[in-house]
Amino acid sequence: MMTKQEILDKLGISDVNMGLTTGTEWFDTEGKTTTSYSPIDGKEIASVKNGTLDDYEMVITKAREAFKTWRMVPAPVRAEVVRQIGLALREYKEPLGALVTLEMGKIYQEGLGEVQEMIDICDFAVGQARLMNGFNLQSERPMHRLTEQYQPLGVVGIVTSYNFPVAVWAWNSALAIAAGDVVVWKPSSKTPLTAIATMNIIQNVLKENNVPEGVFNMMVAKSSVMGDNFLGDKRVDLLSLTGSTAVGKRAAQIVGKRLGKTLLELGGNNAVIVTPNADLKLAIPSTVFGTVGTAGQRCTTTRRIIIHEDVYDTFVEKFVNAYKSVEKKIGNPLDSNTLVGPLIDKYSVQLFQEAVTKVQEEGGKLLFGGEIAKGQGLENGLYVVPAIAEAQNHFKIVQEETFAPIVYLIKYSGGVENAIAINNDVPQGLSSAIFTKDLLEAETFLSGMGSDCGIANVNAGTSGAEIGGAFGGEKETGGGRESGSDAWKVYMRRQTSTINYSTDLPLAQGIEFNL
Amino acid sequence: MEITKDITIEDLIEDYPFSVKYLSTKGIRCIVCGEPIWGTLEEACLEKNFTEEEIEQAVKDLNELNKQNK
Repeated sequence: MMTKQEILDKLGISDVNMGLTTGTEWFDTEGKTTTSYSPIDGKEIASVKNGTLDDYEMVITKAREAFKTWRMVPAPVRAEVVRQIGLALREYKEPLGALVTLEMGKIYQEGLGEVQEMIDICDFAVGQARLMNGFNLQSERPMHRLTEQYQPLGVVGIVTSYNFPVAVWAWNSALAIAAGDVVVWKPSSKTPLTAIATMNIIQNVLKENNVPEGVFNMMVAKSSVMGDNFLGDKRVDLLSLTGSTAVGKRAAQIVGKRLGKTLLELGGNNAVIVTPNADLKLAIPSTVFGTVGTAGQRCTTTRRIIIHEDVYDTFVEKFVNAYKSVEKKIGNPLDSNTLVGPLIDKYSVQLFQEAVTKVQEEGGKLLFGGEIAKGQGLENGLYVVPAIAEAQNHFKIVQEETFAPIVYLIKYSGGVENAIAINNDVPQGLSSAIFTKDLLEAETFLSGMGSDCGIANVNAGTSGAEIGGAFGGEKETGGGRESGSDAWKVYMRRQTSTINYSTDLPLAQGIEFNL
Repeated sequence: MEITKDITIEDLIEDYPFSVKYLSTKGIRCIVCGEPIWGTLEEACLEKNFTEEEIEQAVKDLNELNKQNK
């Protein structure tokens, strides 16, 4: 494993960093300075100068100007830049993955996985660039052609969260850039260094390909500088926001007021259903990864497990035993033996502890964990022992998303439809899963009367989505879809064209209009 | 510097971290999904149906806590 200094040196991170770039040019801004601390040991990693309102104006102006050029570059040529970015990310996979771990706290394997997601979406976008096609349709009029095509949309604003500090930027940017858009990225103030490192990694590719300044923009800024004004800015054609439902609702209102477009990836309250026909050899390890992976700080983290009464006791015994093994592997996320790293900050620990208290106040029973982990290297108080609690689905705390490793066990009886009803009875609708070997149960779960979530898996957990599928959820999760499948369409402007190649002027619906 | 109702929640958390606990007791969650909510202190209070007087009181309390924390 590289040392901290080696990681920073490889990625071009200095003690004090500029927080604004338009691609290859960096700007020395005069906003507040944000210091990034590692949740691993609470020590300062480096600091970043924030952008100001004047800087924001400069970036948006530059982005709009760059769009005029970029939209006319053929899509496969644009995607060649994305391909080269994918190659650069391959070259820097280890240091960037390590920096994700250092700054965010997820285990190194997950840090590497995050960079691999960036690489995967680059590869995906390269192929997609030749398939950003519309339809040719049959016209009702003679010698007319009816066609649909997709055009570049404009400026895409990207707001990302600390838990996937760079992958979400890549999901959006790879497709947006291939689609002919330009991007303006506001990274999380908790993880600005990974954003700067990413921009450092790609800048040689931008230079070598003469990509205009203003196509790839990134500005570290407070929400007072890049908040409501960003959302309400008519010059931003699509606002892609990953974050909480609270921020998403605010964004939807402000962007909606100007009838702008949003792509919202918000909170989840994801459940796994374990039926009497489940293979527990699959269900247990898969669900443990879902509950404690990234220390419970994924939007797809498993928050609820809905277990049939016939297998409840067996499942609980095995599940608690698995947590006992996990407890021994709480520690420094850069250590290859660690399975659970720290939470991002003391506030997250506080919310975790509050949830543990609240579920018991509402009548739930704590079965495991819930305390701050102790031991050598864990002294900063950000490491917690993942909690398991028996609960009822209607508890107020169960209906909320707590961004920490606490999972609620809920017993059900009768048929799978009862478990599905519990699965759906929360405000959020991101991810869901069922463990069963019974075809009827699985298909019911996937049917129109099944899970109401954007993601519904069978014999696979709620987290760990592949890049090829569309990612997103319903209800208070926001309704957006990004990443694979046809998610590229959100980054483009749809256009229907009628072409008359006759010498007559027949009107649609047979309307006569004789002058 | 005095805390005012126009301060953003993000700045409040950064400059006056004790505010998180105080506002939590008033039913306001400053941090959701690990990130600060957007908007001002006043907006967060109004979302929880605080009256003008209650907002003023919250600002007063926070300034008092700030003095104690210095």
